[in-house]
Amino acid sequence: MATQPIDQFAKRLHPDTKAAVYDGSKQGHDKRTQVLFDHFPDPDRLRRIAGEIKQHVVENLDTYLPQVEARLQAHGVTVHWAATAEAANAAVLAIMRSRGATRMVKSKTMVSEETGLGPFLEKNGIECVETDLGEFIVQIDHDQPSHIVKPIIHKNRRQIAASFERHGLGAYDDDPQTITRRARQHLRGKYLAADVGLTGANFVSAESGRLVVVTNEGNSRFCLAAPACHIAMVGIEKILPRDRDLGLFLNLLARSGTGQQLTVYTEFISGPRSPGQPDGPEEMHVIFVDNGRTDVLASSCRDILRCIRCGACLNVCPVYRQASGHAYRSVYPGPVGAVLSPLLAGEDFATLADLPRASTLCGACHEVCPVDIPIPDLLLRLRDRAKQEGVPSPGTPPMGVWALLASRPAAWRAALFGGKLINHLPVTLVPVPALRSWAGNHALPEWRGGAFRTWLKDRRTK
Amino acid sequence: MNTDRESILSRVRGALAPLPYRAALPDWEAELVVIRQARGMVDAWTLFAERLRGVNGIPLTAVADLVALLVENGWRHGYCDPALWPNLASAFPATITVETMFDRARVDDYQFGITRASLAIAETGTVVLTDTGTSRRLAALAPWVHVAVVTRDEMVIDVPQAVAALPDDPNIIWCTGPSKTADVEGILIEGVHGPGVQAVLLLD
Amino acid sequence: MNESARVFPDAARRVQLMATCLCDAFYDDVARATVEVLEFLGCTVEFPDGQTCCGQPAFNGGDWPSSRRVVRHAMRAFAGDVPVVVPSASCAAMARHGALLAFENEGDQGDQGDQGDQSEIRALGRRTWELADFIVHALGVTTWPGRYEARVALHRACHARGTRSSEAMQTLLGSIAGLTIVPVGEGEQCCGFGGTFSVSFPNISSSMGALKLEHIRAARPDILVSGDMSCLMHLCGLAGKAGEPIKGLHFVQLLRDALQNNGVL
Repeated sequence: MATQPIDQFAKRLHPDTKAAVYDGSKQGHDKRTQVLFDHFPDPDRLRRIAGEIKQHVVENLDTYLPQVEARLQAHGVTVHWAATAEAANAAVLAIMRSRGATRMVKSKTMVSEETGLGPFLEKNGIECVETDLGEFIVQIDHDQPSHIVKPIIHKNRRQIAASFERHGLGAYDDDPQTITRRARQHLRGKYLAADVGLTGANFVSAESGRLVVVTNEGNSRFCLAAPACHIAMVGIEKILPRDRDLGLFLNLLARSGTGQQLTVYTEFISGPRSPGQPDGPEEMHVIFVDNGRTDVLASSCRDILRCIRCGACLNVCPVYRQASGHAYRSVYPGPVGAVLSPLLAGEDFATLADLPRASTLCGACHEVCPVDIPIPDLLLRLRDRAKQEGVPSPGTPPMGVWALLASRPAAWRAALFGGKLINHLPVTLVPVPALRSWAGNHALPEWRGGAFRTWLKDRRTK
Repeated sequence: MNTDRESILSRVRGALAPLPYRAALPDWEAELVVIRQARGMVDAWTLFAERLRGVNGIPLTAVADLVALLVENGWRHGYCDPALWPNLASAFPATITVETMFDRARVDDYQFGITRASLAIAETGTVVLTDTGTSRRLAALAPWVHVAVVTRDEMVIDVPQAVAALPDDPNIIWCTGPSKTADVEGILIEGVHGPGVQAVLLLD
Repeated sequence: MNESARVFPDAARRVQLMATCLCDAFYDDVARATVEVLEFLGCTVEFPDGQTCCGQPAFNGGDWPSSRRVVRHAMRAFAGDVPVVVPSASCAAMARHGALLAFENEGDQGDQGDQGDQSEIRALGRRTWELADFIVHALGVTTWPGRYEARVALHRACHARGTRSSEAMQTLLGSIAGLTIVPVGEGEQCCGFGGTFSVSFPNISSSMGALKLEHIRAARPDILVSGDMSCLMHLCGLAGKAGEPIKGLHFVQLLRDALQNNGVL
């Protein structure tokens, strides 16, 4: 029987990569559990409240978006809107051209991966350097990140050292500290020479218009301290209603994603630098990006827009741990990706419709999600949609005959009693492909159809 | 991109139109997110110092201790916010040279940067830098050592209090320990793009 | 679903038994033990003869029309107002949550007193209890008489997440004289069955199962016990095929055997 692409990818995955992904994920999950339950008596209550706040935002984006825009503009920020990936990239380029800028340093933002900003800018003669260490390594390797928070969870130090040597960053040395120092030195020069610093935003407050950016490395700080212009690319769903809600969300984000109480740096950005400050951007732009989010908003899976990109669902997912991020063939892997990626693909939904199937619906993701997204329900809805749109699904047995039998008691009972034949058939002759496939790696239990009903009838007539 | 603005907003409205009602905004008590260890805390500095050490930061309560730290580690040249320098200069030996101007062309000359923080958060070991309060953004960021100077009355206990205290300032940074990464095989390395040493000097 | 909305048994403790399609086909002893245990607890157990399946296999597979067909049949088969007890957290989850989802775009939106599918489905859901949950929280039984000498490893089905079934199973088994429950590493992780997932993602499914078996074996139990035969079918099936069979029992079989060991049944 044909099987699914993600399953095939998992099968081919190098054991070292699988081990790195498994161990990294498990560590992230264990740290999350420890810090949340060590610090708070009822973390699940916090998740539910945060989920309600985000759901409220999602369902009131028509009010919040203009409100955020007005706050930003009041602080001297230029606000742009980009309906598509192309429009977002074009907006960035236009800002750079208007300043005669040719060099950008980039802090980590998933939206820019969605739009393919880096390659687009390079094609247009702009040097665009990733500054997050993991993303930098991905960039020099011409690779793709495999986790939304830990982009090189799939790489080991030897691979990184070889990449650094190929990129002219020194003779082969796989000591992690040496690798990090080299990156520090190299990127320092890039920050200081850059014209524009680009960041994303983890949150945007509708009350004050503040953007919040969280990092551990200090790269976003440097993007905002050295270049003279700041561009922030932000998905339209990143809004929080009130400043005070940051108290809840900042307490959940780092704990959920990396097991830290807070990331090392939490930046609250409201506008260009103050008049007396020599360092930092004199000009600030925010680009609100749609790129399929309004499609998601219109769908029955809009709850996924609550996502704050913490990565907790990836860390706990047993399927992600076996397959790794690259198996998902899209910017967002893991449970969140299995919902978001096919939906963001718009008309190309069918090309990623297998992602929602890569799940046993175990619900671990829902249990760890800081905004309580019912991911299994959303995966189920997408399976229904894929079937309705006639997307073929290799390996999924057809259920029509089953449904017929299961709605006709007499036929069901006949099958129960008749099925005993299976006990006597060699597996290869069993007329149900799914069963044959299953029997390939499972010992089959003995068919005992009818035995219970007979026993019960006898018991009742005694 | 005005047409994109209209098209996005119109798509948002269209997407939400069929909803029979919109999810309400819940309220929540700040109490819920104050960590166990900070409840009923009396001495904020003690908790702060403990949490700061927990993220490998260095709490200091005397300028002499700061000087000792610099001397011990061979950090002999750095920058200090000119507004702070008069309070500290007398404790510094001649073997340590301090500039009160920051030259970004010589960014790697400065082994340490001493700048002003506006607030400290006890339950997380965090110091808060503001744009208007930080003489040079680069001075607090680029040198290997950052010393944030804060006064005893500029302390709050928990994150909700710190959020409530956010001033009207274009760039506020909560710094919780030295910069770090675990991107290489999950191994923790300190000192990435930001400082590798985060000290906090408490002045009364 | 909030507790107050659930249907508790009446004084006569009348219940309907949903045996599950797996027990109907493969695990008749589990269904038998369920009847014996419920009757021991004073219940009058009715077995609606027309029952087949809860509709979950098609639902999880994405074939919602087929699933709805089976759910409609289940509603007819279990017509009535007494609790429906089922020895499976996944079937209970289907009746209490999945079925609602399967019908969310069909017919009227439920509770306005009309006879649309939605309100009937909700009603059946309110009456449906997973077995351990029923014994502990509906019948109030928290200690189990009888004796059973063994080291057991417990495996909780993923569909028990967010319910009180797992806690109930532990309460009952933990009270049995002679029984030692051994902890299993990464016990929260899924066994890898996932219904049709085990057929369309055979590599990941069996890798997940193998990992779970490794953790289980490390705890050196005599028996692997669960509240769901689907998980046991998968894990014991993998172990058997690999030539290292592992003994698996549904907790209700253990409850029944404990009673028999004491001469109570």
